[in-house]
Amino acid sequence: MGHDVKCHNLEFHDVTVAYGRRPVLWNIDLSVDGPGLFGVIGPNGAGKSTLVKAALGLVPLVGGSVRLFGLPLEHVRPRIGYVPQRETVDWDFPVSAVEVVLMGTYARLGWFRRPGATQRALARECLDRVGLGEIADRQIGRLSGGQQQRVFLARALAQQADLYFLDEPMAGVDARSQDQIFRVLSELRTEGKLVVVVHHDLRTAGEWFDSVALIDMRLVAAGPTAAVLTPENLRRTYAGHLDVLDELGRAVEQRGRTP
Amino acid sequence: MIVLPTIPYNTLVVAAGVAAVGFAAGVVGSLGVLRKRALVGDAAAHATLVGVAAAFLMTGRRDLPALLLGAFVAAVGSLGVLVLLRRVTRTRDDAATAIVLGVSFGLGITLVSGITARGIPGGAGLEQFLLGHTAALTASDAVLLAGVSAAAVLLLAIGLKEATLVAFDAAFAAASGWPVGMIDYALVTLVAVMVVVGLPAAGAVLVTALVVIPPVAARQWTDRVTTMLVLAGCFGLVAGLVGVGLSAAVPRLSTGPVVVLVAAAIFVVSFFGSPSRGWLARWRRQRAVAQGWAEGRIIEAALHAMQASSSGYFTRQSIESRLGTAVAPGRSSTMASSRAWRGLLLRHAIEPAPASEASVLATQSSQGISLWRLTEQGKAEAVERARRLALWGDVLAVASGDARAFLTIDLPPPEAVLDAARLHAIRAAVAASGP
Repeated sequence: MGHDVKCHNLEFHDVTVAYGRRPVLWNIDLSVDGPGLFGVIGPNGAGKSTLVKAALGLVPLVGGSVRLFGLPLEHVRPRIGYVPQRETVDWDFPVSAVEVVLMGTYARLGWFRRPGATQRALARECLDRVGLGEIADRQIGRLSGGQQQRVFLARALAQQADLYFLDEPMAGVDARSQDQIFRVLSELRTEGKLVVVVHHDLRTAGEWFDSVALIDMRLVAAGPTAAVLTPENLRRTYAGHLDVLDELGRAVEQRGRTP
Repeated sequence: MIVLPTIPYNTLVVAAGVAAVGFAAGVVGSLGVLRKRALVGDAAAHATLVGVAAAFLMTGRRDLPALLLGAFVAAVGSLGVLVLLRRVTRTRDDAATAIVLGVSFGLGITLVSGITARGIPGGAGLEQFLLGHTAALTASDAVLLAGVSAAAVLLLAIGLKEATLVAFDAAFAAASGWPVGMIDYALVTLVAVMVVVGLPAAGAVLVTALVVIPPVAARQWTDRVTTMLVLAGCFGLVAGLVGVGLSAAVPRLSTGPVVVLVAAAIFVVSFFGSPSRGWLARWRRQRAVAQGWAEGRIIEAALHAMQASSSGYFTRQSIESRLGTAVAPGRSSTMASSRAWRGLLLRHAIEPAPASEASVLATQSSQGISLWRLTEQGKAEAVERARRLALWGDVLAVASGDARAFLTIDLPPPEAVLDAARLHAIRAAVAASGP
């Protein structure tokens, strides 16, 4: 793979996705390279989550293709980690935090093989890493929203991937969990991984991500954060969402003022 | 003095067989319930009657293996129709399930009553599949039921890792490459198998009770999947055994209703009694929340009262009149207040006035009204509570939904859940909008 300079970590080529006949993503052309934190930013219903789901093969493409490390998804699944939105599962499910993290090792185990001591140790280690080592055996419904999100992150860590997708990992998360999650994501960057994060909060986007993509069904802009998060680009992204524009304007101004 | 020989050998074997069915139904049903497929099993169950009738018409005999095979084909067929309905007509899950359930059951009833009405030889017993009737089972029937049950449990045990993964988080499973659809079909097929072998015990109408009620009851007692499986199995086993026993003892009593009632009894006990999830536990938790709130309100009022009075003391009556019904509205307010008062005393947030000082204020204490004051700890708590209340008030006034989501009734410190930048912005917004 090293000899091919055109081989990107993550590449969307002309991707179009529709739910029924309603388009959600429209001709997305985007290539992303690691290591680093990559933010996918846009208004509600802009298709941010769908972009991630398209990359993971969770929604059918109407057209276009996605390549990861230069290959189709099926060839690189073990190298991909995923943190879905927290609301997608039933937290009343009778499993403990460490059992959820253990699920991150299942794909590598394959059919019918049970996790052993190695996998259990790895799961504990991943939980420690997100600061939840002490409540490993607690039923997941008894965790706070932020802790649940960190359990999901730990499960993705247990996948031991090279490319991570996180869908709104900071939504409804307390400050401490937010710090911890950001710290772990920064560590992943240091380890040379690419981390793609769907994110809604423009205030924090500027400081967290190395590069971002602004999407509103179509790709508005992508590149280094400072170059992309301009008032003009934000206006184009949030054009149909005038109510948030005002707040955004203030956020951008503030960013401009701080050196 | 051995009692066993008085029970006919056949009844014993049938009892053992139905016990095995009950156990397996509980185990397999648990995963079905966790995957939120309880109703799908019900649709399959109602469809079995068509298969039973069709198998009888084709073979002309009431031979249990053949009838159950027909039931299984019908059950799987109904699931196929269900999938088709959802895919092709985009009918919603619940509606599609109701349609399949209703139509297939209507067809089944029509066939069975047609067979009975025409007096086709051997057809008279078919309606037993409606409500279940174990008294007519032979030992070899029971062995068949037990064998299939054991196989179902074994298969589930082998694929438990995969089934649990899909049941908990199908999107994650799919993203990491598991064939979620296939695992789902396998699971639902297993549920269909259990519904079919449960037919003699509980009948088409009630057999889902064996697949659904024991798992739901078991969930009340444990937070582990494996424990839940075993417990649900045991509940199902008990329900099955009691059903067989009564059916053998009381002539012409259908097994199904008995099985369902026993399972329901187990469920009711679980619902009330479970230490962490039961109704009692929930009531206790709710009471603790109300008491915590009442304690907070009391020290809040006490702080005001202490600041207002020169002596620094307050009476319980003055606090309660100051709060009105706010401590805990409703008839139980005095009780909640008493508990809160005791709670505050126990954790040294308030203390009675020392005897020496009380005598100085003898005019009041002589009337039998005791005087209280906040301890240093109580004062600190009241001040901190006031601070949090004010800050949360700001959050509620200016912040958007996801900041509000962190507010809980026990008033966590806002800075523990909201990041500093956010709090700063909230304070600034309040200052800007202030008078």
